[in-house]
Amino acid sequence: MRNRIDDERQVPDLLASGDRATFERLYRQHNGAMIRVCTAIVGNRAAAEEVVQDGWIAILQNIGGFEGRASLAGWMFAIVLNKAKSRARRDGRSVSFDAGGEENSLAAAFDGRGRWKDMPELWDEVTPERILAGRRVLDHVTAAIEALPPAQRAVIVLRGQHGLDPAEVCAALGISEGNMRVLLHRARLAVRAALDDLL
Amino acid sequence: MLNCKDVAARASALIDGELSGWQAMQMRLHLAMCRGCSAFVGQIRQTRDLTEAALREGTAHPGDDARLAAILARLPDQRRGV
Repeated sequence: MRNRIDDERQVPDLLASGDRATFERLYRQHNGAMIRVCTAIVGNRAAAEEVVQDGWIAILQNIGGFEGRASLAGWMFAIVLNKAKSRARRDGRSVSFDAGGEENSLAAAFDGRGRWKDMPELWDEVTPERILAGRRVLDHVTAAIEALPPAQRAVIVLRGQHGLDPAEVCAALGISEGNMRVLLHRARLAVRAALDDLL
Repeated sequence: MLNCKDVAARASALIDGELSGWQAMQMRLHLAMCRGCSAFVGQIRQTRDLTEAALREGTAHPGDDARLAAILARLPDQRRGV
């Protein structure tokens, strides 16, 4: 474990010295999530790919100034998401991260005393590779994530990304922890509802 | 005393370890007595784990190698490395 931590501490220096293997590893680890989150913010995948590509170049050009106050992943996502927000502004697009008001998929699940109308049951048979309605459970989950409103999608993708802690997710998106928690919970409720409908 | 609606609203915070000791204990008391909420919290935990697995699986995209090469090509020579 100690070796691994020491290795992680060397990553910024390796990146600054132009170590291609280090860059490739970071790219493969984070690029997919960056594109997903930026797609939610800028509204289409082609623009998101451009933004993320520019973001990687900015990361490589500025890595010498990385001071380790955030994690490396937090610092990289902040750079990329700033570029996505600038692009969205330029395109006249805005994504609301306001968590107020919106109903969630459980709105009608309770009676007047806050008790379940229909009791949920254990999901004993829900495994990643199980086939439901002709597709793997994981493919249904991916589709449900893609169908989320942009703010919920951005939060659930970032919270699932290894190396980012919740405070860094909030900082990168410019939202409060309370908002982030509400959006994450709503996103999970929507994915859960999509799976529950299949059972 | 929490009702089922309260427990459902706090399910993500519970599984992410974001509740205070007192809040978590109130949740556990309710879960010990309520089969429906216990199943629901289990579903949310499975949803979290499946979501993370789906996102990990979707990390690579067709064309990644070309894009990687394009980024490296746009950098000054001294940063390209070996």
